[in-house]
This record gives sequence, C-alpha cells and structure tokens, in this order.
Amino acid sequence: MADKKKKKRLSKVFDYLKYEDPFAKGVSFCAGCPLERLVRFVPQVMGNDIVITGTPSCSAPVLLGQNGKSWHKLSYYGTLMTGAASNATGLARYYKRAGIDGTVVCFNGDGTAADIGFGNLSGAAERNEPFVYICYDNEGYMNTGIQKSSTTPFGAKTTTTPVGSNERGKNLRRKNLGLLLAMHKIPYAATATLSNLEDFAKKLLKAKEISKKGFCFLHIFSPCPTGWGMPTDTGIEVCRKAVQTNYFPLWEAENGKFSFTKEVKKPKPIKEYVKLVKKFSHLTEEEIEVLQKDVDYEYAVLKQLSLLDQECPLPD
Amino acid sequence: MNMNSEKSELKVITGNGAAAISAVLCRPDVVAAYPITPQTEIIEKLSHYHATGRLDAEMVTVDGENSAMNTVTAASAAGARVFTATSSWGLVFMYDAVLAASGARAPVVMVNVNRETPGIIAVSAGQQDMISIRDCGWIFLIAEDSQEILDLVIMAYRLAEDYDIQVPVMVHYDGFYLSYMAERVEVPSQKSVDDFLAVLKTQPERTKLVPGQKLGCGAHGILEGYVELRHKHCAAMERAKDKFEEISLDFEKQFNRSYGGQIEEYRLDDAEIVLVASGSMCGTIKTVIDEQREKGLKIGLLRIRMFRPFPSEKIIKALKGKKCAGVVDRSICFGFKPGPMCVELKSFSRELGDLKILSFIDGIANTDITKINVEKMISMTIAGAKGENVPEVTWISYDKDLKEC
Amino acid sequence: MSEKIYFNFQGPWSDAATELLCSDTGSWRTERPVLDEEKCILCGFCAMYCPIQCIEMKGQFFHSDLNFCKGCGVCARECPKKAISMVPEGEFK
Repeated sequence: MADKKKKKRLSKVFDYLKYEDPFAKGVSFCAGCPLERLVRFVPQVMGNDIVITGTPSCSAPVLLGQNGKSWHKLSYYGTLMTGAASNATGLARYYKRAGIDGTVVCFNGDGTAADIGFGNLSGAAERNEPFVYICYDNEGYMNTGIQKSSTTPFGAKTTTTPVGSNERGKNLRRKNLGLLLAMHKIPYAATATLSNLEDFAKKLLKAKEISKKGFCFLHIFSPCPTGWGMPTDTGIEVCRKAVQTNYFPLWEAENGKFSFTKEVKKPKPIKEYVKLVKKFSHLTEEEIEVLQKDVDYEYAVLKQLSLLDQECPLPD
Repeated sequence: MNMNSEKSELKVITGNGAAAISAVLCRPDVVAAYPITPQTEIIEKLSHYHATGRLDAEMVTVDGENSAMNTVTAASAAGARVFTATSSWGLVFMYDAVLAASGARAPVVMVNVNRETPGIIAVSAGQQDMISIRDCGWIFLIAEDSQEILDLVIMAYRLAEDYDIQVPVMVHYDGFYLSYMAERVEVPSQKSVDDFLAVLKTQPERTKLVPGQKLGCGAHGILEGYVELRHKHCAAMERAKDKFEEISLDFEKQFNRSYGGQIEEYRLDDAEIVLVASGSMCGTIKTVIDEQREKGLKIGLLRIRMFRPFPSEKIIKALKGKKCAGVVDRSICFGFKPGPMCVELKSFSRELGDLKILSFIDGIANTDITKINVEKMISMTIAGAKGENVPEVTWISYDKDLKEC
Repeated sequence: MSEKIYFNFQGPWSDAATELLCSDTGSWRTERPVLDEEKCILCGFCAMYCPIQCIEMKGQFFHSDLNFCKGCGVCARECPKKAISMVPEGEFK
C-alpha cells in the first residue's frame, strides 16, 4: 500500500489558490459555515495586499481584531453597517490619490448590502467608486439570531417571520440584489457561490482588475447551516443545489453585457433545493409553487438580459 | 483667491465662503460634499474650486451626510487630510459615523453650521445641533465671525492632526447670522498657511491603514481594552486644552490675529459682572458692554471658543472673584431648567466661590438676540450681583414661568 | 484593573505582525474525519472545500489538522469517492 504511489488529480481550483490563507486556523465561525470558506478563499485568490472592510455581522468577530490583536494578517477597517460602502469609498479614493496599490474589498452580509447599508452601496455604485463590494448573502440577519432581511426568500422561517397559526414564514418575496446593482451600469457585477469555486475565483480576479477603474459588485450565495436548519456538512451541497435549480443562477454583467457563467441545461425543480433546508420544511406544495414561480421569473429576466446585444461601458 | 500670492488678501465674503476658502488653503486630500441649509454654499464653493483647479482633492459627492462622515473618516484612517461640512439634521444623520470617527481617533476636520434641530422642523439658527451631540468625543470650537471661521479651520487641522492629540475637530458657527452674512475677511496667503501647518510634518507619523501592512483599524475593545482606549481618549482631550493655547499663540505670531485660546476674555480683568456666551451673539454683547463701560459699569464677556473639551480651568481662573455671571445659551438642555452651557458651568460652581450664576436662554430659532435683550440680561446680572431676587433661569424673549405653561 | 496595555496605539488598531489570535476550535468537534486511503483518488476536494482550510497534504494523502477541525463533515460529504467517514470522538478515547 505505502509503495503504491497514487497520481494526483487535483482540481483546477488549486491553480487559483496562489496566496497564503491569512487567517488563523481557529476562528469563530459555526462549524460547516460556507462563510468561513469564503473569507479564506477571497485572499487566497486575490492576494494578501487587499484591504478588507468589515461590519458588525457574522464576519465581524473574525474580520475585526480584539484588544490590539487580529485573527488574520490582512489590513482591515472595521466600520458601521450604515456606511460600509462609504468607508470603502474613502479608502479607495485616498489610495488612488496617493498612488498606493491595493484593492479595497468591502465585505458585508445581506443585512448591510441589501438593507441598512443599501443607500450608500447604491451611491458608491452610481459614483463608480474604485473598489470591490462583496455581499455574502445568507438571506437574513444571522449574527443577531436569524431575522428576516430583504433577501430572505418567500416562505422562509426566521425569528421575525415565524410559523404559527397566523403566519407561514415570510409572505413577501426576496429582493434581487445582484440585478439591482447591475442596473447601476457598473463595470462589473456578478453572482457566485461556494460550490463553483473556479467560477468564483475567475470572478474575483476579474473584479480585482476592473476595480482599478470602477465599482465591482459580487453577490455571493452563502447558506447558513445554523440559521437555516441544515446539517453542518451540507453547506456546499446546498450551494450546488441552488445553482442547479436556478434558485441562484451564476451570471456576470461586464459593462452591462449579461451572460450566464454556468448555464443549467435542465434545471431541477425548486423542491429539490427546498427539501435540504429546514427553514422551508413547513411549506405546502402550493407554497413551494409560489417560490418556484419567483425563481422562474427572476431567471426569465436574466435570460432576456443575456440575449441583449448591447453594452454600456463608461467613456474613458 | 490668488493661490500664488505670498500676501494676504482682503475680501468681503460670507461665513460659508470663509469656511470653504479656509478648507482649500489647508490642502485636504479627500472632501465629501452633501448639501444642507445653511451649509450648502460651502460645498458649492468647494465644488467650484475643484472644477476650476484651485482645489486639488478627491471630491466625493456622497449620497448623504452619513456617507460624508464615513468617507472622510476612512480616508483619514488611511492617512488623508480630510474635510467635510454639515448642519443640523445632517449632523444627526451622520451621528453614528461621528462617533466612529472619534472612536477611531481619526483627525477629521468638519464645519458644522449651527441650526435648530430636534423634532420640530426649523430652518433657523440655534446651537441645539451641537448640544445634541456634545458627548461624541470630538473637539468643538466655536467661531464668532467670518474671520474667525477661516482662522479656526486652519487651527483645527493643527489641533486634530497633532501627534499628541489625534482627535477629530468640529468648527461650529451660527447658521444664517454668519453663514450668509458677508463681511471683511483677511484671506491669508497659501504660503503662510502651508508654513503654519508644516509643523505637523515634523512630528512622528500617526498610524495609517496601508494595504499589506498587517494593521487593522476598528478592532473590538473588550473589557479592560475598551476602558484603556476610552482613558487614552480622555487624556488626549485634556492635552488638547494646552495644545490649543499653544496653537493660538503660534497662529498669532504667523498671522497677527489673536482671539485668546480656549476662552476669549473681553474686558474681564476688573469686571464685577460677566456674561458667558459663545458664537455670533458675542458681537452684539461686546457692543453693549462697550456702551455700559462708558457708563462706568464694570462688566465683561467670557466667550467660550472651545466647548469640548470644556475649558473648566480657564473659566474658573477668569470668573473667580466675580460677583455674578449670566450664561447665555442659544439652546436648551431638556430636563434641566438652565441652558446647557450653564448646566456645565455649574458643575464646578464650588470652585467659583461665591459667584452667583444665572441662566439666560435666548436666540433660539433665529429670534434675534438684540441689544435690548442683552441690556435686559445685564440688568438682571447686576441685580443678581446685588443679591436681589432674580430667577435662576430666564427665557429672555419668552418670559413665562415654566409652571404656567 | 490590571496594568496590562492592550493597544499599542491611540485608537482601536490591531497589529498582526507578531502572533495571531486563535481559538481552540478542535475542542468543538464531536466527530472526526477518517480517511480510507484505498478509496482516495487525491482529487483534493476535501482540502478545497474545507471551511477551515485545515486539510493539507501530509505525506501521500490529505489529512485534517485535528487541533482545529470542527468536525463539520463537509470533507466527507464532498468526497466523490466517499473515502472519508465521520467517526464519533468517543471511539478514540
């Protein structure tokens, strides 16, 4: 056995992991949280000279240090949820002026990106500020204990959209954050997730390059095992299923030109995805159908956009 | 504004115009601009200077005041010299970021054009915006006229960015009265301002957020670590008092203009009764004092120029032995009967000996503090000095007993 | 109150030039990944998806650093050859 040398057939993803993981090995993300893979992945691909900004959220206990010490070797700026994109603006503008190299990565959850910090995110996008905004979307306010956000999908059970005799989880539909940002006509908008790491890595590198000139937005689907009611080993599987059902299609829009980076030939019914996650366990067939229709609609919009033969680049 | 001239120029400009020119003279790297009455002219002027090449800075036309403060704070942490301006509700909308700026010890300089604030919409002067955020950990300076606005902004950079201080500074002045009023202002040469600020370059570099340097700004302060940072901040606030005296003297040497330091003492030496006030009303008060002095009344003015840190030691020294002081507030301290500055002054009344302290609330929401109003304050202060029965608190222009309302 | 200085700065800055903060996340684990080397094809999916990034090539095979492995089981689930099984910690006492 020991003599039998096996030939390595490493995944191509390893080719993108060019830089050291700057984080300590022991950090306080819940076991199995895809967000932990995500925060380590970003500098592994983009390099350790990024400046990352973090806000109170699931990532704050790790991104922001404590009493003079840090959990990682990156330069970071700890900021408020209300002004995350504006803080990144200040950093990026000054680095630009002073001729200091380095990519500013504004790293936030959906609570900051889609809700409390949406105004200044939109402002930074409109002004085409030179940095990368990454929203890890776990579809709720997870760090405060799983409350509904505007990206929480229809039917999902959270602590502010509970299931009881009068309520059936969230009775509203989710906001499509990626599309909203793309409609700011920014140079680069894309979605990505943890099951498709090569796709994700390519998008990170593209964003790093394009952000020298303007605003890049990456919308990352990042399930929350603790808050969604998933076994800790299913994080990647749930990401994969979200892509396969078109619940979270992988696309990019460069200078307004939309394209799918992973076209799902035969999308699976949303039921396949829903059954993996306890937050949907109360849903009836009819309710699942509402979710299916929402997914179908969003996909149809994207499909039409991907067929457009037009771009909207900024003049140089 | 002639940027190349080595001489100062005399101009007739508004308070807002003075603030804008002063900001340009200090060569900020990043400026965040968002309008609000009565501050708007500042950012219009700055945008104009930027468009015409006189202001060489990253100009960020932000989406709101909250973004303005967040933008300049982070830029400051990265090493930039920054400027922004606001007023009233704008100050309130950036409140969390104002706290974050001082928490980060970012040497931000901001102009706040005082305007009424809480609850009732009022497009009028008052210091209530400043009072509403007085415990935000910033240094507060208050100007009396357009010249002082210009001068204080320059001094503010020296103070905020001083290595021993590193605390953000807010320069306050009365909206409407000063913001829009044009008066004679001596605009110093670019070279003289550069020279005045050059001292900062000789100091050790403050910590800056640079990519790849393994430093982070915004760490959690936990238990004793948090206490340690708060204590350091308080120590810096204390140091700021003497530092401002030093800077004021340096300023006088360089520009030949003096206002005093933390406080201005106007005809105070032999005064028996004193008015304590701040901002534009002091112009009127000084006029009335001059008239009363002609009549032989021993009266003076103590003008508060630095409101945070509160110049307790200076005030004690200046007021000790006086008979009666009337503190004029252009704002309200909800839940206390006296005005806010009076409440603060009373916190060390024991050290002021037998001084009788009266509170006058006046000038709220652009109700002018006229000479007649000041004369009324003075006669009440005289009565107080004589030991007559004078109400502790008087709303000068609205003299109703609180119990009757 | 102790005399210890936590921040070498005026403000809330942290310095990662020396040692990093680190938690004993290995103690969270109730199950540990065990590799069947026979089945392993060295695709590296376990190391690629491991949230902690504590799976590294040691010798000929990928192995978890049990000082930090939280026992989430992502490696076992994502292994295309089902070469990793999660075994209760109790069995190793």
